[in-house]
Amino acid sequence: MDFDFDYLLAQWPALLDGVLMTLRVSLLAIAASLVIGVLGGAARVMKIPLLAQFVALYVELIRNTPILVQLFFIFYGLPAIGMELSLFWSGVLCLSLWAGAYQVENVRGGLATVEYGMREASMALSLKPIHYFALVALPIAFRTSLPAMLNTAISLLKNSSYLQAIGLAELTFVAVDRIATDFRAIEMFSAICVIYLALVAVLAALTGRLSAHLQRPFQH
Amino acid sequence: MKPMLTVRDLHKHFGEHEVVKGVDLDVSEGEVVVIIGPSGSGKSTFIRCLNSLEEPTAGTVVIDGGESIQAGNRRALARLREDVGMVFQDYTLFPHMTVLANMTLAPVKLKRASRADAEREALALLERVGLQHKADGYPSELSGGQQQRVAIVRALAMKPRLLLFDEPTSALDPETVGDVLNVMKGLAAEGMTMIVVTHEMGFAREVADRVVFFADGRIVEMGPPSQMFTAPKEARTQQFLHSVLH
Repeated sequence: MDFDFDYLLAQWPALLDGVLMTLRVSLLAIAASLVIGVLGGAARVMKIPLLAQFVALYVELIRNTPILVQLFFIFYGLPAIGMELSLFWSGVLCLSLWAGAYQVENVRGGLATVEYGMREASMALSLKPIHYFALVALPIAFRTSLPAMLNTAISLLKNSSYLQAIGLAELTFVAVDRIATDFRAIEMFSAICVIYLALVAVLAALTGRLSAHLQRPFQH
Repeated sequence: MKPMLTVRDLHKHFGEHEVVKGVDLDVSEGEVVVIIGPSGSGKSTFIRCLNSLEEPTAGTVVIDGGESIQAGNRRALARLREDVGMVFQDYTLFPHMTVLANMTLAPVKLKRASRADAEREALALLERVGLQHKADGYPSELSGGQQQRVAIVRALAMKPRLLLFDEPTSALDPETVGDVLNVMKGLAAEGMTMIVVTHEMGFAREVADRVVFFADGRIVEMGPPSQMFTAPKEARTQQFLHSVLH
């Protein structure tokens, strides 16, 4: 078999640039998607008029259309109506909106498991609804939702490879770009598979530690 | 005696179903009123109306000679809660917070006290119920009886003028019921005004200044425990007490 490790070693700097771009775009989008998830989940659970319906529509729209179409809509569609974003921010926006829809559902599911008694106890203590939501319901829901949130974050990281379709120089783009000139497809795709696996493993390990930390009050 | 609570013609409907059918009740400062009655008689719904966990359909509630609170006045109803503490059947401690954080959350967030003062007061309250060593523990590390004692002092940390108990011992193991009842007896002895919905007839007999028998959404009869437990007037009361005491 002709598998050239030396070639991969020589390409390492280009791959590293790709990894860094993948990480930058993914981490920003993970953070933004969590903000969307918390705010959107809150709007739906608290049934805030108009906002709750808008969030429901957004979630359905994202979940029932292909992410590639969403990406093209943002990158090619929005400039046509005067909203032009850079390559990088188009990528961040696409992944944030895509994962945000799933995070809304994750947060909503977590909040649904918080017992009504917690709300009554908060009311009996004269806590304001915002205190109840931010300090009681959300922290309890977060523990329940964390595995689902991690799954969404992992999917986001993997889906960042779609951004090669608009020419953002993330990991998959770098690999495809190199293959176009060097024809080392098996080496390149093997390499980026291993790198994606490693990135997901790190993300899962970090979340696992967070989860263990958060679960301490409940383990007795 | 100074009136602490005045309830007039209180009604509560859930849709077509009327659960509380016109209740009048006066409670004096320092008085301990124990409400007994069959399940589904509306007694829990009634006390939940007193701190507006349920919004009364009609009637008025006045706490400590303050503003008369009419049914339908949501904002005034919400203000009621500031003066009324409540202890629930299932403790409802916040599971992700330590005992101390459970107790200081409301006083600090409502700007009743600085964090340092709130913590000092919380520790003093915990000491009173013998749980100062659990201050940094989580609710899941406590027995049911310990959790309920924490729930009581969490309510006390808000310095309520009236404390409501909704079947506070019904979810407890028999061996921990006594600890919780002892804390409640201590509060009664110190002059806390309390309304207690319970099936603990021993507690009612020993601690209550007045026993209220509630059935079918109404107060059927009330009086001092000596009279209620030995010579109840109404047939409905006699029947109920006969079934629970024998």
